[in-house]
Amino acid sequence: MATPIIMPRQGNTVESCIVSKWHVKKGDQVKSGDLLFTYETDKATFDAESTEDGTVLEIFFDVGDDVPVLTNMCIIGQPGEDISAFLPQDEQKEEKKEPEPVQAVSEGPLVQKETQMQTSGFFGISPRAKNLADKSGADLSKVVPTGPQGRAIERDVRSLISQGALISKAAMAQADGSSEYIGTGLGGRIILPDLVQGEKVVSEPVQTLEVPKEQKIDYTEEPLTNIRKIIGKSMHKSLAEMAQLTLNASFNATAIMDYRKKIKGAMEKLGLSNITLNDIVMYAVTRIIKKHKAINAHYTGTSMKYFSDVHLGMAVDTERGLMVPTIFNADQMSLNRIAVESKKLADACKTGTINPDLLQGGTFTVTNLGGLGVESFTPVINPPQTAILGVCSITERPYMTDQGLALYPAMGLSLTFDHRAVDGAPAAKFLKDLCEALENFELLMAL
Amino acid sequence: MTKILNIDPKQTRARGMIKFTDIPVNQYSKTIEQEKENYTNEEFVRVFRDMAVIREFETMMNAIKTTGQYNGVEYNHPGPAHLSIGQEAAAVGQAFYLDTKDFIFGSHRSHGEILAKGLSAIQKLSDQELMNVMETYRNGTILRVVEKHCKNTQSAKDLAVSFLIYGTMAEIFARETGFTRGLGGSMHAFFTPFGIYPNNAIVGGSADIATGAALFKKVNLKDGIVIANIGDASLGCGPVWEALSFSAMDQFKKLWEGEYQGGLPILFNIMNNQYGMGGQTNGETMGYEMLARIGAGVNPEQMHAERVDGFNPLAVADAVKRKKELLLAKKGPVLLDVVTYRFSGHSPSDASSYRTKEETEAWQTQDSLVEYRANLVNADVAKDSAFDEILENTKDLITEICKLAIDKDISPYMDLNADPKAIEKLMFSNQRIEKMEDRECETLMPKEENPRVQQIAKKVRFGVQDGQKVSKNKVYQVRDGIFEAINDKFYTDPTLVAYGEENRDWGGAFAVYRGLTEALPYNRLFNSPISEGAIVGSAVGYGLCGGRVIVELMYSDFLGRAGDEVFNQLSKWQAMSAGELKMPVVLRISVGSKYGAQHSQDWTSLTAHIPGLKVVFPVTPYDAKGLMNSALAGTDPVVFFESQRVYDYGEFFHEGGVPEGYYEIPIGEPDVKIQGNDITILTVGATLYRAQEAVEILREKYGLSAELIDARSIVPFNYEKVIESVKKTGRILLAGDACERGSHLKDMVQTISELAFDYLDAPPVVIGARNWITPAHEYEDAFFPQPSWFIDAIHEKILPLRDHVPVNNFTDVEMIRRNREGV
Repeated sequence: MATPIIMPRQGNTVESCIVSKWHVKKGDQVKSGDLLFTYETDKATFDAESTEDGTVLEIFFDVGDDVPVLTNMCIIGQPGEDISAFLPQDEQKEEKKEPEPVQAVSEGPLVQKETQMQTSGFFGISPRAKNLADKSGADLSKVVPTGPQGRAIERDVRSLISQGALISKAAMAQADGSSEYIGTGLGGRIILPDLVQGEKVVSEPVQTLEVPKEQKIDYTEEPLTNIRKIIGKSMHKSLAEMAQLTLNASFNATAIMDYRKKIKGAMEKLGLSNITLNDIVMYAVTRIIKKHKAINAHYTGTSMKYFSDVHLGMAVDTERGLMVPTIFNADQMSLNRIAVESKKLADACKTGTINPDLLQGGTFTVTNLGGLGVESFTPVINPPQTAILGVCSITERPYMTDQGLALYPAMGLSLTFDHRAVDGAPAAKFLKDLCEALENFELLMAL
Repeated sequence: MTKILNIDPKQTRARGMIKFTDIPVNQYSKTIEQEKENYTNEEFVRVFRDMAVIREFETMMNAIKTTGQYNGVEYNHPGPAHLSIGQEAAAVGQAFYLDTKDFIFGSHRSHGEILAKGLSAIQKLSDQELMNVMETYRNGTILRVVEKHCKNTQSAKDLAVSFLIYGTMAEIFARETGFTRGLGGSMHAFFTPFGIYPNNAIVGGSADIATGAALFKKVNLKDGIVIANIGDASLGCGPVWEALSFSAMDQFKKLWEGEYQGGLPILFNIMNNQYGMGGQTNGETMGYEMLARIGAGVNPEQMHAERVDGFNPLAVADAVKRKKELLLAKKGPVLLDVVTYRFSGHSPSDASSYRTKEETEAWQTQDSLVEYRANLVNADVAKDSAFDEILENTKDLITEICKLAIDKDISPYMDLNADPKAIEKLMFSNQRIEKMEDRECETLMPKEENPRVQQIAKKVRFGVQDGQKVSKNKVYQVRDGIFEAINDKFYTDPTLVAYGEENRDWGGAFAVYRGLTEALPYNRLFNSPISEGAIVGSAVGYGLCGGRVIVELMYSDFLGRAGDEVFNQLSKWQAMSAGELKMPVVLRISVGSKYGAQHSQDWTSLTAHIPGLKVVFPVTPYDAKGLMNSALAGTDPVVFFESQRVYDYGEFFHEGGVPEGYYEIPIGEPDVKIQGNDITILTVGATLYRAQEAVEILREKYGLSAELIDARSIVPFNYEKVIESVKKTGRILLAGDACERGSHLKDMVQTISELAFDYLDAPPVVIGARNWITPAHEYEDAFFPQPSWFIDAIHEKILPLRDHVPVNNFTDVEMIRRNREGV
C-alpha cells in the first residue's frame, strides 16, 4: 500500500523547511532506513529516511522548495498504486482542520516569521543582549533570536559567543547581514578587512556524492550578486580607511634551530617545555618590540596608545575558525613560560574552553603559516593594533662562502603595518632588529 | 457587642413615645448693664478691639484680592481667601472664655477664629509665658521679624498681637515666616501653642478630627475642651454625622470606667452663616429648618443643643461658658447653632447671585461692630471716640504688618532652588519615639498572664519542622505576629489606643486582637460605630495631639468610606504643619478574598498614590511583627495592609522562625525570599505564595532559577535590591492581587525600566488581577494571578520556554484588545 513520507516537524516553532537534496529519484527502489532527502531549518540540517520498502512513486517538491512541515514529500509504494489521495494540497487542507490546542500556540509561527526577518537585517534585540553583544563583539547578523516575538535576547548572544561568532565594530557597521565572512581578527572576530578579503562561506549540503545532474542547484546565485555589490563597497571603504602594507624579510635561522636542538636535548633534564620555533620568534618579538613603541600600540583614529607592556596575540587555527588569544605581559616571561602559555592557550582555543577575556587586549599579534609551507604572505591587522607579524616557512637559500656557494636555512617574516600609525622606515627597522636578534639568539637570551 | 449590656426583648418591644425637651433658640437677653457683673469695661472694649482686628484683617484680604491693593499697599495674592466679614462676633464671643488648653479646629473660613482665639490666649497668658512661646516657636524665627520691624513692641502682649497677626498673614501669603512656613496657607493656618489647631479646607473635615482630639484629652486625662468650628452646610456631609455618632457613643457613659467614664469634651460649634458656598441650608439644601434641631436626633441629651445669636458676642460667650462647664463635667458632646451671616461672598469671585442686595443690607444694618459699639457707648462703657481710635490703630497695625508680610526680604518665600528638599523633608517626620508620653501603661493584667500570650508561647515559630509543614493549630501565625507587636506596645506606650469595628470582645474580625479585651480597659480598646470616616478622622485628631493610635478598616474595600480622612487628612497634616505636628497613626487594612466584588479588593495602589502615607503589606509572620513594631515606633502615618488569605500562615522563609523578642524591620526594604539567577519575581502581598509555586515550576520543569522578592513595603521603597537583582537576571516579572490597570506595580515597572534599562533582556512584565469585579470565590482563579499565569507570562513576554504550551493569553494582541475595551 502506498505510503506518504512527510516533511517532519523539527520543533514547535518550525513552520516549514527547505529541501536541500534528494537522495532518490522517482522510480528508485528504496528500503526502510534508506536516505530519502536532506532538508534544513534556519538552525540545522536534517536527513529524512524512508519508513517503507518499495518504489518511489512520486516526488512532490524540488531542491530549494520551502515546504510546510507535515506536508507529503513523496510516496513510496508499489508501481501502479493510486496516489491521488496523497497529493500535498489535500494533505494541507486536512492539516488546517486540525484543532489548535490553545490560541497562544498559534503565535508560534510569529516567532518563526521574525526569525526569518532577521536575515534581511531587521529584528528586535533586548538592551541586555545588545550590551552583551557590544562588549563581546558578538556578530548580531548571525544571531538566531529565540525571545518573544522574534526578539534576540541574552541567551542568543551567549550562544553566538560560544560559537565564536564575533565581529569588530567597524566591520559590523559595514557588513551585510545576509553574508558570512571568515573572521581573521582577535578570537576569530570578523574585522573590516574580512569584508573585502573574506569569502562567503556557503553552507555545504551534508552529502556531496552522486548529485544527479538535473538537480544541480544554483541557490547561491542571488546572494552572490548581492555580496559582490557589498564587497565592492566594502573594499572601497576599507582601502580608504586603512593603510596596510606588508614588508617581507628573512633571516638565517641556523642560530635558533641550533638553540632549539639544544633545548630538545635538555628538555627532560631541565623540565622544559617543547619550545617551538614560533615560541622563539614570539620571545624575540617581546624583547625587541619594546624599542619600537609604535609597533606595540593601538591606533584610535585620534590618538596613539603606546603600551608599556607587551600583550602578545597569537593566531590559533581551530575548527571554529581563527582565534587569537593573548599572552598577557609576555615581555616578563621566560622563553619556557611563553612556550607553556602559548600551548595552553592554543589547546583552550581548540577545545573551545577559552575564556573570552583572553581573546582580547592584545597589543601586537604573531601569526604563523610557516607550518603550511607558506613562504610569505600579507597578514591582516587586528584593529586597533598597528601591526602584525607573519611567520613563514624555512627555505634553503644559497650564500657565498670562501669555499663557494653554500646553503643556509632562511626563515621568512612578513610584517603588515598600518601606515596611518607607522611609517615604512620605522617598521622596516623593527623587522631588521628582529631578524638580527633571531640570528644572534643566544646574545638575545643574555639580555 | 458586649455581654454586660443585656438587650431585653420585652423592653425593646414595649410600647411608648420618645420625649424631646425644648431646644433653646436665641434665649440670651442680657443687656450690657446686666453683663457688667461679668465683664470689666476693659473686657467689653477688648471684645470690640478683637472684632475690629478681624474685620480689618479680612477687609485687607478682600481689598488685596479684589483691587490688588490695601491702604496704598499693592499686592497680588493668587491664593484663596474665604472671608468671614460679618462673623466677627461669633468668633470673638467663642474665644472669650477659652484658654490655651482648649483647642479649636476650624474650616476654610477661619481667619477670624484664629485671630479671636489667639487674642484671647494672649490676654490669658502671662508675659513670661508669651515670650516663652514666641521665643521657642520655630526658634524665634517669626518673633525676630516682629521684634525688628513692628512699632508697637513695648509690652509682651503688644508684641504678641503683632506676632499673631503677622504669623497668620505671612502664612496666608505663603511665606517661610508664616506659622507653618506657608505650607498650610489661608485654609489651613493654625498655631497650636495658643490652642489653635488645624483649620480644614474640606467642608466638615474638622468634625471627626476634633472628635479625635477630644478622645485624646479624655483618654490621656488632659484638661480643656475641643471645639469643631464647622459650617452649617457641613451638616450635609457624612463624616460630620459620623463624628456626631462617634462622639455620642453610649459606651463613654455606660461602659467606660472610673475617671474615664462620661462624655467626650467636644463642642460642635456650627458657624451657621446660612450658606454653603451658594446653597442656602435653611429652606433649600437641608431640612432641619433650625440647625439646633438635629441635636435631638443624636442622643437623649439632645447634645445640649441651642441656637445662639452669633451677632452678639456676649450671647456667644455666655453660651460657650455654659457649654464648657458641661463638657468639663463630662456631659458632652454639645451642639451649638451659632447664627451669623457673612457680608463678603464665599470667596472674592462670588458674585452673590444667590442672594439679594436687600438681604445683605438688612444684615449689615445689624452689623455687630456697629450694634455692639453703640450698646457699649449707651451703657457708658467707653466714649464713642475711643472706638474710632481703636479702629484707627487697628488699621495702622494691619497696614504695618501687611507691608511686612508682602516684603520678600523680610518675609521670604521658601527657596526651593537653594534647598530643593525643603518641602520633601517635611513629608515624613521619620522619628523613632518608643512612647509618646512617659507614664505607666494602664492594663488589666501583666503581659505574661494573658491567655493569648501563653498560647502563643507554645507555638512553633517556624512553619516547617523536620521537613513537614507544622499544623495550623501549632504554628505561629501571621495574626500572632501582628498581635505580639501591638500587645507589646500597649505595655510600652501609655497613649496607645486601638479601636475600630469589632475590635473589642470579638477580638477583631480576623482574631488578631484575641486576648486584648481581657488585657485592656475600654479607654484603650473599644468598638467604634461603623463609621470608617470617623474612625480614621478621629485617629488623625488623636495622633496630631500627640497620641499613638491603631485604627482598623475591616476590609480594604471600605477605604472609600474613609476616603477624605485617609487621602486628605491622615496624609497631609505633617507636611502642612511644616513639621509642627506628628502623626503616629497606624491604619490597619485587611485585604479580603472569597467575598466577591466589594470585599476582595487590594487597594494598596490607591494609598500608594497619595503623598504623605507610608504603605506596607507584610504577608509572613516575621515581616508582620517586624513591620508592625516599626510602624508603632515611628511618628508617621502607616497604612498597614494585611491579607485574609494568610492570617493563619506560618513563617516559611525567615530562618530560625519569628524571634520571641522585640525587633524591627525597616519600612521600605524589600526582602529576597528565594535567591535565583535567571529571572526576578517581585510580589506585593499574598501573591508571594503563588509566586513561590511558580518558582518551583520554573525550577523543576524549565530548569530556571528564579529570584523571589517580597516588596513588603510600597511607600517608601528602596529599589536597590530589586535593581541589583535585575542586573543579575536581566528579567523581571511583578505580581500582585490589585487590578492590573493603574496598579502600583506599573509604577514600579516604570522606575525599574529607567534604572535598569540597559540590563533588561525583556520588558518588565506585570501580572495583576483582571480589570473586573472580583467574582465569587468559585471563579477567583480566573481573576487573581495564579502560578500558571507566571509561567505563561514569562513564556510569552520574557523568555520563551522550551516545549511550553501556554493556557493563558498574554499576547500583545490581547493586551491591546483588553485596553481598547477597558476590561
